[in-house]
Amino acid sequence: MTLTLTLRTQPPARVFAAPLIPERLRGRGASAVEAIELRCGGETVAAGDLFEVSGAGTEEEALVLAGDLRQFDWIGARMSSGEIVARGDVGSWAGAEMSGGALRIEGDAGARLGAAYPGARVGMTGGEIVVTGNAGEEAGAGMRRGLVAVGGRTGNGAGLRMLAGTIIALGGIGDEAGLGNKRGSLASGSALEPLPSYTYATRFHPPALRMQLLRVRQLGLTVPDALLSGPWSRWSGDVTELARGEILIFDENEEGA
Amino acid sequence: MSGYLLGDTDVDDTFAEAFPMRYARVVITAATDGWALEAARSMTGFATSVIGCKCEAAIERALASDETPDGRPGIGVLLFAMDREGVGKRIVERVGQSVMTCPTTACFDGLPGADSTSPLGATLRYFGDGFQASKVIAGQRYWRIPVMEGEFLVSESVGVGRGVGGGNLVIGAGDEDVALAAAEAAAGAMRGEGIALPFPGGIVRSGSKVGALTSKSMPASTNHQLAPTLRAQADDTLVPDGVGALFEIVIDGVSEEAVREAMRRGLHSAAGAGATRVTAANFGGKLGQFHFPLSDLRDPP
Repeated sequence: MTLTLTLRTQPPARVFAAPLIPERLRGRGASAVEAIELRCGGETVAAGDLFEVSGAGTEEEALVLAGDLRQFDWIGARMSSGEIVARGDVGSWAGAEMSGGALRIEGDAGARLGAAYPGARVGMTGGEIVVTGNAGEEAGAGMRRGLVAVGGRTGNGAGLRMLAGTIIALGGIGDEAGLGNKRGSLASGSALEPLPSYTYATRFHPPALRMQLLRVRQLGLTVPDALLSGPWSRWSGDVTELARGEILIFDENEEGA
Repeated sequence: MSGYLLGDTDVDDTFAEAFPMRYARVVITAATDGWALEAARSMTGFATSVIGCKCEAAIERALASDETPDGRPGIGVLLFAMDREGVGKRIVERVGQSVMTCPTTACFDGLPGADSTSPLGATLRYFGDGFQASKVIAGQRYWRIPVMEGEFLVSESVGVGRGVGGGNLVIGAGDEDVALAAAEAAAGAMRGEGIALPFPGGIVRSGSKVGALTSKSMPASTNHQLAPTLRAQADDTLVPDGVGALFEIVIDGVSEEAVREAMRRGLHSAAGAGATRVTAANFGGKLGQFHFPLSDLRDPP
């Protein structure tokens, strides 16, 4: 039975939820999970004081967090395997520096989704993050590898100092995307004005993005057929770095022009 | 040779002798099934025999959009060689020259999870001259090679499996038209999942023997024993009475079972299409690890 933590009371302060990752919960029964201490503001609180725990940590490493989790930061941070499903909005730094596994957020994500820790250069290095709603600012900051897929929109500054990897926002990517991007890919399902450090290259049907969109569809987001068939505009940048990154923008309006 | 009758067709009491080979499967996709087919035909051209072409390759089957990794129409291609290194070299050459060059195509590994792999995109990426990029999608790495049209997407590597090469049927009839029609029917029935028929249209008219009577340097020469024009000339002729033409179908497969069942389909189709005689080529059983007695194929598929 999948380990499920259902929020029963809002915490008095923001919670550092990084200990709640599948690999650390493997084989733990409900009481052991309830005893896990979480940082909450300047204090510690037992997971059992905040969540109703059912099931147990399984070999499949699946974990469900349910409830309004906007006060919970660092959900799935540094996870390397398994799957977390967050059924509700989550706080900031979800999936920060994760290196593998899957984090599915059925709601909105806060700022710095899949990003680097403060002061760190490298953020997410592997795995897949799927957000059914919107994501906050600086999603994928410092990202090196992996996939961040957002069903709605990302906030401003997505892909900040991105090294590689892919950020897809079906609803569109916010302003100032890809600042300092070296080799990463950002794909925006709606119009976007790239930074001046990006240069328009062409309009084409990117085969790798098509594969990624099919993967995103497989992961449960609704990807319109129009996005699969393209075309997409390609902008190269950031020229202040290697200029080997890209912003792909769905180019619906020019279809057939 | 006394064998059995399948309708009006005499089936010899003999066997096909086949060899272990290594193989790769690639899935070629394109914007249209027509372009996928163009690439597949080009890739499998001049790949009839390892003796002369260093590999044997053929179209396995057409793939619908919902059967391919990128949701576009595709073609499955099987390529066989004697060892993993051979498969690796030939697959890079042929995908590089025949698939990457073909408009709108992408090329994927068709044996995911195989125990053994060989580089594909990992080698072809250098054509990108430093502008190539890779993406890991669902745990698989793909290379994006910039080309004049846009980008060529190719799997990092291909799986290499253990298959069987050299299964065969030899189909004869009183005249060449009937023999060819029977061979065509057999080839059509044999094609499918796990099967490659590497010769033109799946059919070879110039079956060979190992070595030559007149030269020590020839690796192979005409199967004079089955050449009808030499019936009165060659003392060791094996052309049966009443047979005026013979065609061979060479079968490479992903397993012994796949080859056997393809031979079964081919034998019964040939019999139904007018073949008067069906036999098989072997080397006395001394060279090949796999033997396929025609007596095992009596029951219909």
